[in-house]
Amino acid sequence: MSKPLIGVILGAVLGAIDGLTAWFTPAVRDQLFGIVFGSTIKGIIAGVAIGFFAKKFHSLPIGILFGVIVGAILAWLVAFMQGGYYFQIILPGTLVGLIVGFATQKYGTPATAN
Amino acid sequence: MDPDTDIGGPAHRFPATNHSAIINARSDDTNVRRRAFDTILASYWKPAYKYIRLKWHADNEDAKDLTQGFFASAFEKNYFVTYDARKASFQTYLRTCLDGFVANERKAGRRLKRGGGMDHLDFAAAEHELAAHASSSLSPEEYFHREWVRWMFTLAIDAFRQRCEESGRTVHFQLFERYDLSDDEVSYASLAADFGLDTATVTNYLAAARRDFRRIVLEKLREITATDEEFRTEARSLLGVEP
Amino acid sequence: MKWLSDDKLNRLRSVVSEPDFSATKYTFVKELGRGGMGTVYLAKDRDLDRLVAIKILNTPDITEDLRNRMIREAQIIARLEHPGIVPVHDVGTLPDGRIYYAMKYVRGSRLDEYSAPLRDRLRKFQSVCDAVAFAHAHGVIHRDLKPQNIMIGSFGEVLVLDWGVAKIREDPRPSAAYQTSDGTVIGTRNYMSPEQARGEVDQLDERADIYSLGAVLSFLLKDQPKVSKTAVAISSKATATAKESRYATASDLSADIARLLDSEPVTAYRENVFERTSRWVGKNRFLVLLVLAYLLMRIFLIFTSRR
Repeated sequence: MSKPLIGVILGAVLGAIDGLTAWFTPAVRDQLFGIVFGSTIKGIIAGVAIGFFAKKFHSLPIGILFGVIVGAILAWLVAFMQGGYYFQIILPGTLVGLIVGFATQKYGTPATAN
Repeated sequence: MDPDTDIGGPAHRFPATNHSAIINARSDDTNVRRRAFDTILASYWKPAYKYIRLKWHADNEDAKDLTQGFFASAFEKNYFVTYDARKASFQTYLRTCLDGFVANERKAGRRLKRGGGMDHLDFAAAEHELAAHASSSLSPEEYFHREWVRWMFTLAIDAFRQRCEESGRTVHFQLFERYDLSDDEVSYASLAADFGLDTATVTNYLAAARRDFRRIVLEKLREITATDEEFRTEARSLLGVEP
Repeated sequence: MKWLSDDKLNRLRSVVSEPDFSATKYTFVKELGRGGMGTVYLAKDRDLDRLVAIKILNTPDITEDLRNRMIREAQIIARLEHPGIVPVHDVGTLPDGRIYYAMKYVRGSRLDEYSAPLRDRLRKFQSVCDAVAFAHAHGVIHRDLKPQNIMIGSFGEVLVLDWGVAKIREDPRPSAAYQTSDGTVIGTRNYMSPEQARGEVDQLDERADIYSLGAVLSFLLKDQPKVSKTAVAISSKATATAKESRYATASDLSADIARLLDSEPVTAYRENVFERTSRWVGKNRFLVLLVLAYLLMRIFLIFTSRR
């Protein structure tokens, strides 16, 4: 399995889980579908970016750092668009970026030299 | 390296050449048998005497009579014709026969009859050695083996001396005697100075002497083993290599 | 005749058994060790100014046929050029008629004296399997594999020693070294395959070595804390009584060891679902911890936002 694909799958799954936990916040429960959808897309975007980064650069610490940054930035954008819940969105988003960064560096077929 | 653990029994091989006195001891020709027995006697009388003294607690006169009686009996009754190399070494077989002989003689309580033709055996020297160098911790069987090894080497030294004298190589023997048989620590350089030779010649002469000595030891051993495997096993035991 | 004291006797015995290298390019240094088949000495190669190990077979005499066969076997073994096989540099006859092999002198420790964590020992074992597989591919069966015949060099390299009783598969006759013994079975009891122990020396094939490798693996696993069922299963398969049940090749055994080290499923053991999951979790411990941390954090956030 290629590294970008790992990033996409993991990003999507964790993004979906992220979105689903919004059910525990009654205030936004009626927007659940949109939240899950948006969160999944966010996860996919993060996964693609981090996965391609891992394909090019083979360094576990740098891959994790890149994942953290991408996750945090995307999460911040979402929170900004929401106009709130910064802590509840950025913290898990950053952690998702960390997990995807780690997984794409550790697993997946590295790019072969031409 | 650790010793291998051998398992399984020895594969039987055909006997060695007619250098073996064990083989010749079964000959129908009396003269051949006589010579073969003389060889066996020469190789085993001393360890047998000491063994009887130690294990059977016989006094020196009884041990002398028993030793001579045993070998005389062995010749007359052809004890060694039943020897089977597949079952045991000749040494073990001879020792077992010796034990049987002594036990029977004691039981019968007979007056021991000495065999003839053994006056040349120096029992006094054997007794002197026994008194001066009593065994400490060895079992009678181990003692027999040890004395047999000692006697084989003694005979080999004597044979080596004779051969060197006959072939005009007395210097070889003298160097061997000074370096390998003496209690004194000598160096090649001191030997070279004493013998008026250069060090390289001393090295070469000593190497040749040791080679020849080794060959004589193995020749003597060949005479008293019946098969190739027995020869190799006894050679390894004699030369101190673990079997 | 003069009395020969015990000291003189012992000295004479070592004098006559000490090799005479005078007509060779070697200088005797010291004895390294003794075994049933031969004695190994440390010697110096004067031409190349290097130390070598010289093995001299424990046979007092040798026929011309035996000599030629030993030389031929040494030539075949010398062609086994593999980093895991101790190379034979030279073969010859001493002035006293004994045959010798000169081999690389390996500084290091034997596998039975090598203390290291289990993973490291298993990697070394894998290297042994690779060396043996190479020999098998060239028609040579070792027949005396044991920890004492495996050296770990000072740089961690692994070398299999003592090919002196090896069998050349294409030659149906017993090996020359086998013939120089007193006829007893060659090998070491604890590491010998059942067929070898029964004396079926000439019917041995590579699987006899597989058995010995399995016994070596058992030795490495012995007294180790937390040995997995998988490792035990690999060694059991290699030491199966029926040779058809063992690994077919040393490469297969090596591959299973590699899988064991990578926490992959091995051919010797069929995992149940729980074991497979447990192995996967063990292999991906960090990822699992990260995901758990994420889920815990999520739960924490849910509870804090409810308040």
